[in-house]
Amino acid sequence: AELKYTKDHEWVRVEGDTAIIGITEFAQSELGDIVFVEIETEGETLDAEEVFGSIEAVKTVSDLFMPISGEVTEFNENLEANPEVVNSDPYGDGWMVKIAVSDASQLDGLLSAEAYADLIK
Amino acid sequence: MFQLLRHSRSWYHRKSRTFSTQTNPKPRVSFLNLEGSGMSAIERLCLEEALLRHDPLERSWAIVGTHDPIYNSYLPNTGTKCSNESCLIIMGIGGKPDILLDVEKVKRDGVLAIKRFSGGGTVVVDRSSLWTTFIGRIDDFPHVDPYPKNIMTWSANDIFHKVFANMKADALHNAGSIEKKTMVMDTKSCGLAQGNGTTLKYSTDNPTSRTNDIPDFALRENDYVIGERKVGGNAQSIVKGAWLHHTSFLWDYEEENMSYLTLPSKRPDYRGERDHDDFLVKLKSTYGTIGDDNSSKRAFFYHVKCAAFEAFELEEVLLKDAMKVVDDLGGMKAWFDGKCRTKILDLKT
Repeated sequence: AELKYTKDHEWVRVEGDTAIIGITEFAQSELGDIVFVEIETEGETLDAEEVFGSIEAVKTVSDLFMPISGEVTEFNENLEANPEVVNSDPYGDGWMVKIAVSDASQLDGLLSAEAYADLIK
Repeated sequence: MFQLLRHSRSWYHRKSRTFSTQTNPKPRVSFLNLEGSGMSAIERLCLEEALLRHDPLERSWAIVGTHDPIYNSYLPNTGTKCSNESCLIIMGIGGKPDILLDVEKVKRDGVLAIKRFSGGGTVVVDRSSLWTTFIGRIDDFPHVDPYPKNIMTWSANDIFHKVFANMKADALHNAGSIEKKTMVMDTKSCGLAQGNGTTLKYSTDNPTSRTNDIPDFALRENDYVIGERKVGGNAQSIVKGAWLHHTSFLWDYEEENMSYLTLPSKRPDYRGERDHDDFLVKLKSTYGTIGDDNSSKRAFFYHVKCAAFEAFELEEVLLKDAMKVVDDLGGMKAWFDGKCRTKILDLKT
């Protein structure tokens, strides 16, 4: 499925009623070595742009923002023991949460791959 | 999710950004000096997070001060029993005590340990630690990309290079001299003069300044260093539309207190295998003192403020006005007990 992106450097891949969310290659390279991913919103329904967790690199902790509204249904538990996967495979094994999409039309407001590429130029 | 309370903007007398003939207008930044405020280290961290996340006027901030490691002014002082009241261990939000601390020694010596809301490593602070904090709203700082390296490069280049260049110049100029010196900014004394109007003189007891061999300040990997030694711990927090960068500089410290920290497995390359004694440096021993310690620390903050004057359109704010943000959250105790991410660590479990 085609990825959509946010200005906060998250990516979204929709599979049916589920969206999978992670951070982009650009974001992981700017943050540096990821040492901790904290997501305690499993089971919560959040609006777009609300904080669903935080990610910590060597010197920095950054909030993670919902690209679209939905219920956080699953957290990638592998990241608890292996947060560095976010660096090595941000679009694959480094995914962070899965959500049940509340409003699919919100995807139209996200960035295409081309638009995101322009953003990070 | 915490609901941001809205207030009349007349409270804070916030003015619109001033545009000058420069290509990039200076960011408007509120300056808060917490020297002598009585605010503890924990309370400072609580205030910082409140200003970062919940300032209804979304101001950018520059905050300086020194803080007691243990005794609070706003939070209760009951419930924490510390045998060692000289220092406080502050871990980053993801820090693991069993890896980063000699937990048995910490417990045995009765040292208070907390987690702060920002990332980064573990520091041991005391009453002599010099705290600086910058909160940048992305709209005010379009020239600073909100990522760690960019923020640190900006702070090193625009603020701390100037601060430490001035510290060095002062120390070298006055090495071995009994020359009297005053510091004036905006036609007002920065407060280094004694109450009777006489100015203070530098004392330079340390060999470094006598030999004119003070290493330069630099940003090395993710650390602020003087020469090859780290001079403070720094960390950041990035939220929607803003970032915070804070540092605790080592003015003077008890070497014994650094023994609470283990040698971290993740270390910067330039550190090598050096233990804390060989890796860290005290500002006091590097630059000497002006009169007494308190005057010297004020000189450091003076230089920070001067650099801030150059970089920003600075507006001084009183603590009571900054504390209104915390008051909106129910007060310091309610904020600390609630959504504030700075928490006391229970090392018994």
